[in-house]
Amino acid sequence: IRSMWSFWLKNLRQFSFSWYTPEACLQFKEHFHAQVRTACQQSAGTVGLKISKVVVVGDLYVGKTSLINRFCKDNFNRDYKATIGVDFEIERFEIVGIPYNLQIWDTAGQEKFKCIASAYYRGAEVIITVFDLADIQTLDHTKQWLEDALRENEPDSSFIFLVGTKKDLSDAVCERTEIDAIRFANEMQAEYWSVSAKTGENVNEFFSRVAALAFEQSMIKELEKTMGHMVQIGTGNLISMLNFASCVYFPHLCSQRLGRVF
Amino acid sequence: LTEEEEEDEEEEEEEDEGGGAESALEKSPFQLTAEDVYDISSVVGRDLLQLSAGPRASAAAARLQFSIVRVLEMLEALVSGGSLAEERLRLERDRLRMEVEALRGEGAPGSLNLGPDKMVIDLTDPNRPRFTLQELREVLQERNQLKAQLLVVQEELQCYKRYIYHSVYKLSAQQQFSRNSEAPTSLSQLTTFTVQPLE
Repeated sequence: IRSMWSFWLKNLRQFSFSWYTPEACLQFKEHFHAQVRTACQQSAGTVGLKISKVVVVGDLYVGKTSLINRFCKDNFNRDYKATIGVDFEIERFEIVGIPYNLQIWDTAGQEKFKCIASAYYRGAEVIITVFDLADIQTLDHTKQWLEDALRENEPDSSFIFLVGTKKDLSDAVCERTEIDAIRFANEMQAEYWSVSAKTGENVNEFFSRVAALAFEQSMIKELEKTMGHMVQIGTGNLISMLNFASCVYFPHLCSQRLGRVF
Repeated sequence: LTEEEEEDEEEEEEEDEGGGAESALEKSPFQLTAEDVYDISSVVGRDLLQLSAGPRASAAAARLQFSIVRVLEMLEALVSGGSLAEERLRLERDRLRMEVEALRGEGAPGSLNLGPDKMVIDLTDPNRPRFTLQELREVLQERNQLKAQLLVVQEELQCYKRYIYHSVYKLSAQQQFSRNSEAPTSLSQLTTFTVQPLE
């Protein structure tokens, strides 16, 4: 098991918790929640493989597939090829000794495929809405894409990201678009990033952030689930720890559970 | 036609007027008025009278000949001008008729037996749409399943490679392999879940 504070991707990319812009960042903590860390340490090697579902949506030709290909295959294809319906990639990580996968769903931006792609929105831990920094209209459309994706998911069950692509083409217009985008991100309760799949700028950093947040959330959910069993078994140590985590992350559940435990 | 009749009459009429007739004969036939025709008829009538009497007969005959030639020229111009206009109109009519038929052909399927959301498919177009949404869904699901299986197989292959590598280099192969062999199993479990859209 690696040191608690250094998280490495499978291919030894630095795993980071850092955000992109403080204006459009929803949480600023620098490390995993203490309880998650403890739980990871205790359960490393014993828990099954964790997987989080990521859904990438946005207009056609904004570069969703390019973004995913840069991260998963580290390549960039200049030729545009529209995605048919839906595609997926699985990226494997090991975080604090726990194998962890991101299942990244690449959806078609073309209207005609919407009815197929939307069947894959459900159960998304992460929703990434993508727009082209050079095309303000695609930013306007992100709200609709997000709305469609949220409709298929439980309220507040997904992390939302707003990503501007083609940063390498950036000019004065893009900079103005970015200001709008940060405002949009705040309204959407999303974290904003701008990336370039062509140069690779911010791509790994962005997905590391996605993986870190999704991993933590998935661990907390797991703890939540096992907590019920633990209460019956009567492991006092775990109960107090998990209750603490619950109070931080699930305040609406906390009063009930606490009432029963204590 | 009316002009012709008028001119037939003119030649029969016998009136004693002059002056305007000369200029009337010089006019463009398309600018002739009824007044001009009366002028010409009076000149022709006078010449006809003179033809039968006296010493000025030959001069009258010459003038008459000129007048008749000129009137016939005018008649010819008017007739061919009319037929040109007629031809133009005929062409215009044919063109409009074709246009209307083309428009009717375009609009017919939409407006006659199909609703506004309907589409006409050209069966000779090799790129015409021919698969249903359900078929595409199934193909995509199958593709996803195969891709997931490929990932599992690649993962297993890596494990075997690692195993062989460690065997060759006399490392603790057994230990290495058993540690890594867990991953593909759990990945394969997860990929079955992966490839289906959650209904």
